Amino acid sequence: MSNAALQVARTGLDAQNTKMRVIANNLANVNTTGFKRDRADFETLAYQNVVTPGAPSDAQNRFASGLQLGTGVKLSGIGKISTQGTLQNSENALDMAIEGSGFFQVERPDGTTGYSRAGNFNLTAEGNLVTSDGLPLIPAIQVPQGATALTIGNNGTVTATLAGQTETSELGQIELANFTNPAGLLSVGNNILTETAASGAPQVGEAGTEGLGNIRQGALEQSNVNIVEELVNMIETQRAYEVNSKMISATDEMLQFVNQQI
Amino acid sequence: MDKLAYTSVNAMKSLMNRQTAIANNMANSNTVGFKADMVSAKSQYLNGPGHDSRAMAVERQMQADMNSGSVTQTGRSMDIALEGDGMIAVQAADGKEAYSRRGDLRIAASGAMVTGDGFPVMGAGGPITMPPAERVDIGADGTVFFVPQGGDPTQPQELDRIKLVSMTGSAISKGPDALFRAADDGVLPVDDNARVISGALEESNVNMTAALVDMIETSRAWETQAKLLRTAQELDESSASVMNMPRG
Repeated sequence: MSNAALQVARTGLDAQNTKMRVIANNLANVNTTGFKRDRADFETLAYQNVVTPGAPSDAQNRFASGLQLGTGVKLSGIGKISTQGTLQNSENALDMAIEGSGFFQVERPDGTTGYSRAGNFNLTAEGNLVTSDGLPLIPAIQVPQGATALTIGNNGTVTATLAGQTETSELGQIELANFTNPAGLLSVGNNILTETAASGAPQVGEAGTEGLGNIRQGALEQSNVNIVEELVNMIETQRAYEVNSKMISATDEMLQFVNQQI
Repeated sequence: MDKLAYTSVNAMKSLMNRQTAIANNMANSNTVGFKADMVSAKSQYLNGPGHDSRAMAVERQMQADMNSGSVTQTGRSMDIALEGDGMIAVQAADGKEAYSRRGDLRIAASGAMVTGDGFPVMGAGGPITMPPAERVDIGADGTVFFVPQGGDPTQPQELDRIKLVSMTGSAISKGPDALFRAADDGVLPVDDNARVISGALEESNVNMTAALVDMIETSRAWETQAKLLRTAQELDESSASVMNMPRG
């Protein structure tokens, strides 16, 4: 037997459960460099028309408002909130943070370009600049052996003093990418986002120009998750879950009562 | 069978609809800009020979509770909460104008500015389409500013103004898509005094405590009707037993 109130309350439980999962993921990533928090957005499911507004109630009159029963709630999407995270000085020459908008470009194992705000870069044995997962930066930067005083400028220019030289030489230029709708990027894990039809095509440029942010060497962008806000959301979600489960037990009791009485 | 049974069954059907509406309000207690539904019943007397004791609960009318929900700060530049009785004009699926309190705006893949549930937002002359922009801001009067791709972030350009209307004094009703429409496909005029709070969202206006009380009340009313049904059954049984021939 299908009972509408039971099913409607079930959609509420499902939605709150998913929201809780999003909150748990945000809290789990509270210390992930460059992480942008997610927000679960809900929308109502279609209403069921029992009496249409404006339908005739008798020969002269019409119903001023109809009877439309809601069928519950669903998750309409999970959007990234791309506010700036706080910058923390790390004193590591290979750490970079983006002040403002933009993403670092990295080459994924399948050859496609991934985008990331996490600036905790490392060097490989060959001297290539890679992410903590070993994905090379685009355009590639190679630091020759014995190079000292590695400096990354605000505009992304990488310079170093090569072994046996006194003058600094330029090793390359880090470029940032930006999107019309960064919330439309697809998260593929490991701090990497990829381009989608919703995000639009990337616009690549030198840091600090065309609306792109500046690069700050020796700093890392912290996760933008606000623990207090997430905890409040968690309590709210938990209570909404409880109320929906109360509705299920109340409806169950109603049906149980009828089954016993009649 | 006693006609009382039909009156009770009718009431039970109506009460289950009410319970469904309460369940829907509870399920949407975290939906941005949601307005709680209210179910009301009207009594319909069935006239005929004998005492007019049968009043059926029929023609249940549904309205939305238009009180404001609480406003929370989100810090996202494209989130807006409406002050007072303002509403955002959006384009419904049938192309006509409808109204919403849902202010979690975003840019769709097509470049259209849409609400969180995907309806295009109306500007001064139709749905607003965003050019590629670095940044989008919404002013207190609903004006949309943007910094074009590669533009100067200190010089935002004005794009359009979100059509904001006032719902006071107009007959509006909620449709199956949770949007509000003016009576007879009417279009509400722009309200120049409407104000929005940028970087904030209006939460659902479902009052959880009231919803729980309503839920209990409906459950108990249902049980009363079920008891009446049981009483009708007992009455029938006892009158049938009176008619039984004593067995010798």
